[in-house]
Amino acid sequence: MAKRVLYIEDDADIGQWVKEDLERRGYEVEWLQSGDRAAERAAQADLVVLDVMLPGLDGFTIGQRLKREAPNVPILMLSARTSVDDKLQGLQFADDYLTKPFHPDELAARLEVLQRRYGLSAEQQIQCGHLLIKPELQTVIDGRTNEEIPLTAKQLQILMYFLRNRGLILTKEQIYEAVWGEPYMEGDKTVNVHIRYLREKIELDPSNPQIIETIRGIGYRVRP
Amino acid sequence: MRNGRRRFSLKNSLMTKYLLIIVSALVLIPFVYPLIAVLLTVQIWAGHHGDTEPYRSASHLESIWHEEAARLDGATPEKIDAELRRLKSVYPKASMFWVDASGRTRLRLPDGQEVPAQWSVPYTVQFMKEASNFRIFTVVAFLGDKPGHGFMVLKVPREAFESPAAIMDARQGTILISGILIVLGLFLFVSLLFFYRIRRRLVLLQQAMSEPTDSGIPSPVETGRSDEIGRLEQSFNEMIRKLERSREREAEEEALRRDLIAKLSHDLRTPLTAIRGHAYSLGQEKLSDKGRESLRLIDRKIDYLGRLIENLLSFTLLTSGKYPYRPQRVDIVRMAKTLFAGWYPAFEQAGFEIDSDLPETAIYWELDPQWLERVLDNYLQNVLRHAQSGRYVGLKVSEADGGTIIIEDRGPGMTGESEEKGAGIGLSIAALMLRDMRLQSEVLSGPEGTTVRISRG
Repeated sequence: MAKRVLYIEDDADIGQWVKEDLERRGYEVEWLQSGDRAAERAAQADLVVLDVMLPGLDGFTIGQRLKREAPNVPILMLSARTSVDDKLQGLQFADDYLTKPFHPDELAARLEVLQRRYGLSAEQQIQCGHLLIKPELQTVIDGRTNEEIPLTAKQLQILMYFLRNRGLILTKEQIYEAVWGEPYMEGDKTVNVHIRYLREKIELDPSNPQIIETIRGIGYRVRP
Repeated sequence: MRNGRRRFSLKNSLMTKYLLIIVSALVLIPFVYPLIAVLLTVQIWAGHHGDTEPYRSASHLESIWHEEAARLDGATPEKIDAELRRLKSVYPKASMFWVDASGRTRLRLPDGQEVPAQWSVPYTVQFMKEASNFRIFTVVAFLGDKPGHGFMVLKVPREAFESPAAIMDARQGTILISGILIVLGLFLFVSLLFFYRIRRRLVLLQQAMSEPTDSGIPSPVETGRSDEIGRLEQSFNEMIRKLERSREREAEEEALRRDLIAKLSHDLRTPLTAIRGHAYSLGQEKLSDKGRESLRLIDRKIDYLGRLIENLLSFTLLTSGKYPYRPQRVDIVRMAKTLFAGWYPAFEQAGFEIDSDLPETAIYWELDPQWLERVLDNYLQNVLRHAQSGRYVGLKVSEADGGTIIIEDRGPGMTGESEEKGAGIGLSIAALMLRDMRLQSEVLSGPEGTTVRISRG
């Protein structure tokens, strides 16, 4: 099913172009030229792309209203993250930022990431190396033998976190806080230990891991 | 004094005042002698009236002495003694004694005068000769005014009768000198007072000038008199008013410029995005290689312009102090790690060899993480754009000296030729932000590459 994008942009030229481009990429796009009706349309959308500078209500007010009405819909803000207005600092409602003039490929990539992070790509199964992961069944299958690989709850959570953020490098602090849900304590080795055990189960050669890549000094990554 | 409310007038001048002091001192000196003399005379006469009154004159005393002696005719020695004591109390400056008929010295007042106990004829003659001594006035009177009954002697120092004029004569020099000294002292004292008050007002003014308020402009002073210093104070206040007005104007202009640039940057971004959209659509068409190359160039220039606009806005906000700064305790190791993680794929894609080295322990700095992020972003972007030829980037945090963030590349160096030189504003922004965060950055750049070290310094 096509994902619905609510796109709020006042400039006709840009709006037309982005709408067409996203539709070409398989999204269903509802484009509003002002933010007045945005909040009521947000509930029906899977994603929101919001321009900050709008006539009438400004982008900040609309963003905050959207987040209140539909807290589970990710918002991509078309503005500079490190910009400008004092107001932007309190911009907690936006899930990601993109500065104009953005590249359409970049916009598409960000939307992908946002969807994954919100668990929207309810794909039936995810291929990753020799692994087949079925998110809904919470199972990981070895594609060569078609046998299930038994993982502990934490190992599965870590793997799913990697898959949601595929292609991104994740630090062990990020992983710990996402999976354990509490602040990382300095010097904690829990993440390293869990990843070692996880690798022993899912990697073909745990001493030369192919699925969970180590980025020396920084963290880990599962390539797309 | 075109703008002065009060015109300069000699009457209010400090110079006039001081000249007045000098002139009055000069005028006073010739009057000193007569003035002091008069004063002293009055005082001496007043003193003479009380102190020298019983002595009055030598002849007066002589007659009194003789009268007394006559009255004591045939008196008993006790009576004579009592009488002499009474006289002594009236004339305390005088010394007196009496000698009886047999030539024996009786009562001596005061005691211990060099008088023989028994009078011989030669001594008596000698005494009478000495009695004509100028300095001591001597009166010898026979008791009962007849020789043979003994006699009584009165001795009074001549000063006791001396007139004020004579005394004045003797002290003339002293009077003059002390008079001049008094005037001189008075003059010095008044001068000192005069300059002390000038000095105090100047010091107050100086303090007011060197103690600026929060706005950086000193507060106005209270103006008192309209002399030279008073006018200085007025000018000072006038200057402050002008300064404040220009500061206000400046702030207004600054805000206007900021708004203009903020609006402009948005207004520039919108058509730029549209250009990119059309270029992208064009890219979907069938194009020659040359056409594709042109599109690629357009795309790159759009990126460059976008960064320029962003930097222009940041720079404007930073230099006008409007870039929000919210310092907090930040683990810079963790921050740098997350940031490097974000940049890693970009470097990877550009074919860089990436050397990352971060410690396990946390290092805490007090700053706004968004600022440091922005600084590191600018440096990393610089590496990605200008140091591709080196194919190496080092992303490190060292624990030494309270923590150092190190970014290394092997590009042509910051002075080397690069395609987009105008982006140097990004580094200016980084430098500005580092300065405001009180961080130190050391940039070593040469043809073998660039190393940026950021520390707390």
